[in-house]
Formats: sequence, structure tokens, C-alpha cells
Amino acid sequence: MDSNLEASVRSAARSVETGYSAEVAQEIVDNCVDAGISLVASLPDDWIAHSIASFEQDERINHVPVNREESALGLCSGAFLAGTGSAALMGASGLMTLVYGITKINYTYEIPLFFLITHRGTFDDGAKFHVSNGLYLEDVMKSINLPYTIINSRDEMPMIGEAYHHSRKISRPTVAVLPKKLLQGKV
Amino acid sequence: MQYDEAIAYIASRWEDELVVTSAGTTSELWHAETGDTERVFYLEASMSLSSVFACGIAQGVGDKPVWVFSGDGAFCMNPGMLQVERQMNLPNLKHFMVSNRVYGSTSNVPLPGRVDNDYPAIARGFGIERVYSFGSMNELTATFDEAVLEEGHTFIHLEVEPMDYRGASPPMDGPEVKFRFGRYVERVTGNQIFTAPLDHD
Ligand SMILES: Cc1ncc(C[n+]2csc(CCOP(=O)(O)OP(=O)(O)O)c2C)c(N)n1
Ligand SMILES: [Mg+2]
Repeated sequence: MDSNLEASVRSAARSVETGYSAEVAQEIVDNCVDAGISLVASLPDDWIAHSIASFEQDERINHVPVNREESALGLCSGAFLAGTGSAALMGASGLMTLVYGITKINYTYEIPLFFLITHRGTFDDGAKFHVSNGLYLEDVMKSINLPYTIINSRDEMPMIGEAYHHSRKISRPTVAVLPKKLLQGKV
Repeated sequence: MQYDEAIAYIASRWEDELVVTSAGTTSELWHAETGDTERVFYLEASMSLSSVFACGIAQGVGDKPVWVFSGDGAFCMNPGMLQVERQMNLPNLKHFMVSNRVYGSTSNVPLPGRVDNDYPAIARGFGIERVYSFGSMNELTATFDEAVLEEGHTFIHLEVEPMDYRGASPPMDGPEVKFRFGRYVERVTGNQIFTAPLDHD
């Protein structure tokens, strides 16, 4: 079997073929590193395949692919208690599975956690099965008082660091939301 | 093997390892047995995430050993946790999985699959190399040093009897658990947790 690195390189190439930007993926990594993040736990959504590959291939990051999004929440929450800066990278659907973990672990113990998620279900999302995220994602985040910011263009990429540091400041999770056009390098 | 006897023995061998307990009986018994409120993170709030939570701690504390407990109910909720553990392969992580074949702290409600589940086989199936299975105190005490004190990521299956136990939760709110444990980690590792600078500019 090919190595994880080879598989990751192929996945990144496939992501570029399907319209996603290698440069934007690298900018996301760089902003995370600049913010002090050294551990990234991820589970894919098609839009972030290249970001996952870029984290995997960057030596400044300990990238841990996980079996389900709850494991990313658990891992990053534990990493906080070792003093390791971390991010949990996932699709909007992944975040939607985490209401229990966020409220039960992070709110109970007041453990910060930084999420990078996709903005699925927007008007430019071609997938019919993401209609639920379009309808409910933002309302769900609001309903559990989960602060989020949408990174609308590459100029706004430094908001990644701000969102990460905000989670430390308020001892609660925060979310940076990545739109499709940003990940495609169109905005 | 009796659940409380197994926990009491492991607690008697405890030196300076960091400990994470799971929602359910392990939290209650470990607190009843040790009374410790510094070196233990009682992750009572959630089932199935104790071992990945412990991975997060273990990856950042150098060679300091981390012991983590999970119940079989919690384990079955997320057996893929072993995929993460295997991949991280942290030499300082020891995972004690306590199998009483029931959801113990919720009045021993029977676990689905309780007759057939073969936990060491599951662990080996995920590629874990150091897998131990103890069904009696004799086995546990005879092989404890090899299983627990030697280096290497290890999965330790403890087969115990269900017990009629309704212990109290450790008497701390979440933030107190966080601060006591986190300050201890800061002290012994020198890592910055609460003292890390907030500004990134
Ligand atoms: C996701 C979730 N579902 C249900 C519960 C309620 N609950 C708390 S402890 C517990 C039983 C735990 O069983 P097990 O992990 O086998 O531990 P034991 O007490 O048997 O050692 C249950 C069902 C919970 N805390 N979280
Ligand atoms: Mg059980």
C-alpha cells in the first residue's frame, strides 16, 4: 500500500482538479501556525480535502485524521490540557453531530476549542443533501451560543487567528466558517 | 474479577501518572478509592471520548505516562477511537477498558453484544500491538508491571463482574476539575495552559 504521504499528495491533486485552491489551503495552514496551532484533527468534507492534505504535509503541524468528528473534539479538548494549540477541521455536517460533545464537555469544563468548518448548504453548494446545513447550521450554532465568523475572502484569513484566540479568551469553543468560493480561491 | 478490587489494585500501583476516567463507574470508584483532585481528569460529562481526550494530553506531556479508563458501554459507542490511538501510537498511553458487560452506572442495563463482544480481538483488529486481557486478580497483579509499566501504547482489557454500586460523582464542578488538573500539568511539565499569551499580534 502507498504511504499516507503519497495518498495525501494524490488527494490534493484530485482536489485541485475539482476546482479547489492549493494556495488558499496553504494560507489556512499558515494562519493556523501563526496563531500558535500545532495539532490539527480532521475529518473530510469534499471542500476541505486540500486543506487536510496541506496540514498533513506541513511539518509544523501534527495532523491527526480521526474516525469521527467527536474524536476530534475529544482530542483537541485534551490537547488544551497539555498546553497544545489545536484546531478541529471538519465539514458543517460534522459540527452538526457535535451539539452533545460541545455542550457536555466544552461548556461543562469550560475548555476552549477551535473549529474550522465548511459553509455547506449555501446557494453555491450543488449538493442537494446539504440543504439541511443551509437551513439549520447557523441557527444551531446560535442556539447553543457558539460564536462563529465567516471568512468571506482571503483578506479576512487573519480572522482564523482571531477566532482561535477568542476561544482561549472566553474558555469556550469558537468556529471559523470556510465558504466554497474562498476554498476555490475565487474571493 | 471484582470491579472495585481491580480499581483498588491499580490505584495502589499509581505513582505520578496522569489519569483520565470515563463517565460512569470508573470516575466514581477512582475518586472513592483515591480522593485525588489534582492528577485526575474526571471526564464524567461524556461517554466514549476519554481515550481520545487522553491522547490529546499524552501527546503534549513528553514521556509522562497517562492512564485512561473507559467502560465497555462507552467503548462500544466509539470503537474507532482505537484507530486514532493506533495512529498516534503514543508510548506513554495506557488504556484500561473495563468490561462489566453492562452500562454499570445506569443501574446495570445490559449491553447489546454483551455475550459476544471480544474486546482484545477488536483492539488487535485495529492493529494495536500491546494488548492485554485480565479476567482475574491473579492475572492482573502478575502481569501488571509488563502491561502497564513498560513503554508502549497499550490496551488493557479488564473483565469484571457487574457490581451494585451507586457512588457519588467527584464533588467538583467542571471548571474546578479543569483548573486543578491543568495547574498540576503546568507545574510538572512547565507547559503553558492557562498562562499562554492570548494575543497573537
Ligand atoms: C452519549 C451518552 N449517552 C448516555 C449517557 C448516560 N450514561 C452515563 S454513564 C452510562 C453508562 C456507562 O457504561 P459503561 O461505559 O459501560 O461504564 P460502567 O459504568 O459500566 O463502568 C450511561 C448510559 C451519557 N452520559 N452519554
Ligand atoms: Mg460497563
